[in-house]
This record gives sequence, C-alpha cells and structure tokens, in this order.
Amino acid sequence: MSIFAATPPATASGALARLMRSDGRRISSLGSLLLMAPFFLLMGFVFVWPIVNLLAISVLEPQPTFDNYGRVLSNPVYALVLMRTLWIAVLVTGLTLLFSYPVAYAMTRAKGPTLVLITACVLLPFWSSVLVRTAAWAVLLQRNGLVNQGLQWFGLTSEPVRLLYTQGAVVVAMTHVLMPFMILPIYGALRNISPDYMRAAAVLGASRSRAFREVMLPLSLPGVLSGSILVFLTALGFFVTPALLGSPQEMMIATLVSQQIRETLDWPFAAALVGVLTLFVSLIAVIFSKAVRFDRLMGGRE
Amino acid sequence: MKADAPRVASGANITIDGLAKRFGQVTAVDHFSVDIAAGEFLALLGPSGSGKTTVLMSIAGFEFPTEGSIRIGGEDVTYTPANRRNLGMVFQKYTLFPHLSVLDNVAFPLKMRGVSKPERHKRAEAALATVRLAGYGSRMPNQLSGGQQQRVALARAIVYHPRVLLMDEPLSALDKNLREEMQLEIKRLHSELGITVVFVTHDQAEALTMANRVAVLKDGRIQQIGPAPELYERPANLFTAGFIGEMNFLPGRLAAAGKTPSIKLDAGPEWRLPAAALIDTPSPGQSVVATVRPERVSLGSEGAAGAIPVRVQDVVYAGAAVLLIGVADCGTELRARLSGVSEVADLRPGDMAHLVVPPEAVLLYAGAAAA
Amino acid sequence: MNPRLDYGRLFLNAYVYAVLAFVLVPIAIILPMAFSEPSYLTFPPQGFTLDWFSTYFGDSRWMAATWLSLRVATLTAILTAVIGTMATYAMVRGRRGFGSVFQVLLMGPIVIPHIAIAVSLYMFLSAMGLLGTMFGYVLAHTVLAMPFVVFTVAAALSRVDADLEAAAMSCGASRFTAFHQVTLPLILPNVASGGLFAFIISFDEPVVSFFLAGIRDKTLPRMMFDDIEQNLTPVIPAVAVILTLASVAIIFGTALLRHRAQRMQAIGREA
Repeated sequence: MSIFAATPPATASGALARLMRSDGRRISSLGSLLLMAPFFLLMGFVFVWPIVNLLAISVLEPQPTFDNYGRVLSNPVYALVLMRTLWIAVLVTGLTLLFSYPVAYAMTRAKGPTLVLITACVLLPFWSSVLVRTAAWAVLLQRNGLVNQGLQWFGLTSEPVRLLYTQGAVVVAMTHVLMPFMILPIYGALRNISPDYMRAAAVLGASRSRAFREVMLPLSLPGVLSGSILVFLTALGFFVTPALLGSPQEMMIATLVSQQIRETLDWPFAAALVGVLTLFVSLIAVIFSKAVRFDRLMGGRE
Repeated sequence: MKADAPRVASGANITIDGLAKRFGQVTAVDHFSVDIAAGEFLALLGPSGSGKTTVLMSIAGFEFPTEGSIRIGGEDVTYTPANRRNLGMVFQKYTLFPHLSVLDNVAFPLKMRGVSKPERHKRAEAALATVRLAGYGSRMPNQLSGGQQQRVALARAIVYHPRVLLMDEPLSALDKNLREEMQLEIKRLHSELGITVVFVTHDQAEALTMANRVAVLKDGRIQQIGPAPELYERPANLFTAGFIGEMNFLPGRLAAAGKTPSIKLDAGPEWRLPAAALIDTPSPGQSVVATVRPERVSLGSEGAAGAIPVRVQDVVYAGAAVLLIGVADCGTELRARLSGVSEVADLRPGDMAHLVVPPEAVLLYAGAAAA
Repeated sequence: MNPRLDYGRLFLNAYVYAVLAFVLVPIAIILPMAFSEPSYLTFPPQGFTLDWFSTYFGDSRWMAATWLSLRVATLTAILTAVIGTMATYAMVRGRRGFGSVFQVLLMGPIVIPHIAIAVSLYMFLSAMGLLGTMFGYVLAHTVLAMPFVVFTVAAALSRVDADLEAAAMSCGASRFTAFHQVTLPLILPNVASGGLFAFIISFDEPVVSFFLAGIRDKTLPRMMFDDIEQNLTPVIPAVAVILTLASVAIIFGTALLRHRAQRMQAIGREA
C-alpha cells in the first residue's frame, strides 16, 4: 500500500499519457514506433538479415572455420584481385577529385547562363543511366572507335590499339561515371562558404591565390572528404563498368564475386569475398562517419 | 461556442496546483501554483530558462507535467490533449499556415469544429474585423506585414470564442513601434472579449503595461506574483528587485532592529528607516542589502544627513533626465536619475558628489547583494 | 575588358571546359548513333533511320523489360515515399529513441556495395521463392532508394516550423489532422521529388537486377547489360535517347517541385 500511496495517481496517468499521447510538439512514443515500424521491418528483413545471413555462410560453410577468408587472403590470385581493386579505387578517386574540384569551383563562381550550362553538364550524366554511359565508353574505345580513329589521325599509332577490355578503360569509364558524386559534395561545401571570407582575406592582404589556399581550400575540405570517401567506397564495389569494359584476366572484386556465384557456384567463398569487401567498407565508413555528411551527396543542398 | 454566442464571452478561471516539470535531472518548473481569475490578464515574466514557457505549454497541453494539476473552468485538463482543450493560442512566430489564405487560416479552428463553410467564413470575416483586418481575407500570409500576420494569428485564436487565450511572447518578433501598437490592441481585445489571458514575456515593461497581475519566475519557481505597482514598489526579494526596473543595491549591516531599524552601510552613513522598510526580518549584526530606485536618489550638499559620498564616474544625458553614475568608497556603484539638468551641469567624471535618499524610498533585504 | 590578361583564370576556364567535354562527349556521341543505318556502332553516324526505335518498340523482350521496369519503379517510388515519409516524420517530430539505429540503417545501402546487397538478396529471395518476381525487385529497390527519400523529406521537414502543427492543434486539430492539413501539403513537393528519385534509382538499377533476374523476367537495365555484353547494336543508343529525354523531363519536373516546395517552406518559416 505504501508504495502505491507514494505514487500519486496523477503521475501514473501522466506516464500513461506520455506513452500513449502526443504532447503537441512531439509524437507519442507509441505513435513514433508505429510510424517507424514499416521502415525498420523493411530494412531489417530485406537489408540487414540477408547480409548477416550471407556473412554467416562465409564462416559456417562448408565447416565453421575462417578457411574461406584464409583462401581470399592467402591465394596470390585473389590477393592480387584485392590489391587491384584497391588500386583502381584509389586511382579513380584521385582522378575524379582532380577533375571535379575545378568544376565545382567554377560552378560557385559562375552566374546566369554559364551556371546553367555547367550544372546541366554535371547533372545530365548524373541522371542518365550508368549503362548508357558505359555503353558510350564501349563505343568510344572499340577497335574502330573514335579514340582509335583520333590516335591514328594524329599519327600516334599506325594501327588500332586495344583499348576496350583493359584496366585503362575501366578507370576512365569509372571516373566518368562517378564524377557527379565528387562534384556535388564539393560544390555543396564551396557554396556554403560566404564570399565575405574571401573579401576579408583580400582586405587583410592576401592575393587571390593565397586567399584560396588559406581560406577557401581548408573550408571546402569537408566536401572533398565526403566526395572522396563516397567515390572510393562506390568504386571498391563497382560491378557494371568492370564487368562490361574490363578484362576477364584482370578482375575486380565485384566481378570475381559474380564469377564465383554464376560460374563456379562456390557460395561460401563468394560470401567470404563479400565479407571482406563489406567489412573493409564498413570500417572506412565508421572511421569517417563523423566527417562525412552522406545526406549531402545529392548536391549538398540544405 | 455557438454561432450566436454573445460578443462578450466570459473567461474561465484557471487553477494550477503544485505544477512540476522535470526533464531527466533538469527541473524546468517546480511547485508552481497559481489561481487565475476568470477574465484576468496574467503575465508570466522571467528570464529565458525560468520555466515560464513550460508553464504556458502545460496549460496549452503541449507539455504534460511531471506532477501537479491544471484545472480550467473547474475541469481537470492536466493530461487532456491540446486539441481538446478549446483554448486560443498565439505563438511567438506567427505560425500562419503558409498554404492557406488569411481567411482560411482564421476559419481553420471552425473547420476543425465542423462548422459549415459559409458560416465559418462569415465568422472568420467577423474575427478579422475585430483585429481591424477586414477585407484582407483573400490574401496569402506572406503578403502581409509582420504586425498584420500577428493580428491574423490573434483572430485565428479568438474566432471560436475560447474562454482562455494563451500568448507565448507574441510580440517579440515585432519592432518597437509595432509592439506598442499591438500591446494596446491586445489590451483592447481583452477588455472587449472578457477572455482570460495568460501572456508569457521576458520584457518587464510589456508585462507591467499589459497585465492585471504579473508572476515573476526564476529557475522554475514563482518569485513574486502581484499587480504591477506592487511588484515595482515593493519587490518581495532581491531577484524581483533587480529584475523589474532599475535598482541600486547597497550592502551593509543591520545595526538595530525594532520599530525604527537602523543600518550601517558599507558606503559610509548609518540610516534610520521606518519599520515598513523591512521586507525580511534580519537580526542585528546580520548582512543586509538596502535597495533604492535611481529616480528616488537626489543630489545633496556636502555634509547632508545620511548622504553617501561618491566619486562621479559618468554623467549620461538621457532626454528627460540625467543619469549620474557614481562609485562609493567601498566600491558599490550608485545610479541616480536626476530630472534637473542644471544641478549636474558642472559635474565631471572624477568629481565628488553626495547622494541623498529619502528613508521611505528604501527597502531592506537580508543577505548579500547578488553581483 | 580587363587590359591585363588573367592567365590563371584563363587556364582554369580552359581546364573546366576540357573536363566538361570529357563528361559530355561520350553521351553526345552515343545519342546520334540511334539514327545511324549500319547495324554496328560507328561515328560519325551514317545515313538516317528510325529503324532502331521500331526494333526497340517492336521487340517483345525489350517491351516486356521496359514495362516490368516501369511497374517496379512506380511501385518502388510509392512504397519508398510512403514508408520513408512516415519514418522520417516520426524521427524528426517524435522522440528520437532509435535515432542512431535509423542513421546506421540509412547509411547502409549507400555504404555497402550494391554487389554485396545484390548477392545477399539473391540468396534471400531465392530462399523465399521471390527470385525474378516483381515483388522481389520492388523490395530490393525500395531498400536501395530509401536513404534518398528520407534525406529529401528530412530536409523538407526541418524547413517546416514545428510550431505550425502546434498551432493547428491549439485550433482543435488532432495530431493526424495537423499533419494532414498543414505539414503534408507543405512537404508534399519534396515527398514527390523523393519519390521521383526513387523511381529513377529503381529504373536505372543494374546490379541487383543483374543477380535477381531469372531467364524471362529481365528489367530494362538487365536487357541493356546483356545487349552491351553480347552484340552492342544501335538499339542501345535508341534506348539511350529515350532514357535521356525522360531524364531531362524528370530533371525539370523535380527542379520545379523543389522550387515550389522551398518557396512555400520559406514562407512557412518566416511566417
């Protein structure tokens, strides 16, 4: 009795009210839960559960060991695939950054029709199919394609060079495909820098290039980091471009996974490959989770 | 609530009893009790974080208190959802629905109550006329000025003749002239409608001008509640004394208690005061603080009885009066608002001045002055 | 004109235009090939024909793939918009108890490579017997598109003053009515543009479809993948022309929606 007496009835109904009802500014806990339930069910069953299941297979089959992972890391053929994937991802990230920063910078400086032109050039590929763009590169780089024609016209080579189905083709096409993911975050970061900073730097005696180096560049680094991480992570697991433009002798991890599943039917080993990729990517994402605003990747609009 | 309800609706009384609201370890409101009479205009005044908004939100139903009860018109509404309390509310920002016309904004509460379209448009027009915006109904909110938008919000809050009108710093977004105009407008509406108003503000002048009673809050507790003159003339404690209007705080020690208590000021003189000056009941020897309003301080001649010698720090011309800022030997700063410009004409920073205070203008509190 | 030539700026401009050319040229080259007569892809295009468009529209496999992709993308857009808006609304306006789990789940489909998602879903859906079914595609694409809808809606909700709903409730509206009459109309353009985004993600999704497709039920991207891999006929440029026109239309559509939404929300915030 004394316990109940110590709790005034108003408090009990208050607790109930807080659980069941909205107090105006905030939806009730129960309401929130109901609204979020479909989201959590979907992501739980169609995203988390299958991944966990796949990772489980990688360590449980054929026997519960880490042998599959041992094979990935110790077999020189597979280790080479991992290293190649890493190298291509780094290369693609570097190239996209090199190409994207000036474009993003030009976007912040441009006005009127020029801005519309640049934005259209950046966005059109972003909204057009990855397959269309990959097909375009297949056409450009084929034996009698425009690039080979150009090389011959300039006299750089007397007969067509093999361009398609090489690592070079993969790097160039992936750079092309992933550039919007670099430009948009950098543009977002640059656009949020008030022009007053540059004016202040100028008034304080900095030349334009100096002001850029000392003020603009450091302030835009978060955007550069977001873009780089995003491009790097996407490049690591990229499938379409390496599968269509790459050489079967020089596979990347995604094409190797596909081969293991579709041709060798070695599920546990493919699962281990996916496991290596997923764990590596998650690790990077966790390390940079504070610095990277993933929700800005669609153009950094606030 | 009927369409043909009399123009002057009577307000409802509000009884708040032992209200407390805690967010984890933080206590926003503690032991808050007040009886608000029907038709009264009560202002909740306090610095930010004093809990005034939490009290208002609890009355509105946007916060559920941890303890205590709220009764409106005798009915316990402590945990009633906001939309079933039938209150009118005006928010700090105008919160007009941007996608609805002015008329539809004002008619919104009637729509929620199932009033037919022609009827609610008629009544919304009438409410707009009450706030002197007749004919503005077809405009969109963004086509109105800030003051007009807040008047629309007011019309929306009163359109269904609620018995209680809650206002959460409704004028803080307006500039000074508009604010004064709106203060009068709200006062006029209050007397016209006879509605009970609870008004939150951090602006003490606003609270004193508008309200029948003002409740001063600090750290979630009521410091003092009373009509404006009482708050100004006889603050119940040092916080209220400092929060409402300008005040000088003179630390000292109580020399003698009794019918004519006397104090020895750190700044020099010993004062004999009427018994009414004692707000608290300190015992002799205890530290006390004597307070006096700057406008009650005047300039005396050297050697005048009870005069405090100060070194002039600044003389500030302020239109109707001159503000003299001096520092006593003990380091206490003293301000005097002097109406005669001529008497301070030759005072320069660094000069000595003697400030005199009539004993009946002094109030005495126990304790040390807060910085 | 500035009498002193600014070489730095000149160089920067030249560089930017070179990069833009790199971005545009491949697309600018493939599109005209749709009208070229030979059955292999050459540049410059030879002759003029609309045969490849009639091949595309006349081929039952291309048509079936296109219709499947359209249906999947439409359902994905609706499902993602509804589920995403519900969850985002609860997250932004509710008690943020599951905030970090929510965040992690949203990062997931962006960070985890699509190949990993595709392979795990292949296993999961084949166990469920949903491989190659429309329902399977819709589930998979909804997961992939979810983050983008949530970000769009969250940005919109943060621009809509929470006190607007409080005001509606003080006027007598229930929580649901307040959402339905006040908040939803204000964020609807963003919900729609999020849905359009989900539509595009689904319609253009090659990796998951690559693994989930059976022999018959191929999506359009899967058909294109096979065509590029095997023979690369001018049907691909013809499809590219159609897709590009559709994209341009959608870009304008979303830009318009976003413009309207922001104007409305800006008013809402000032008001």
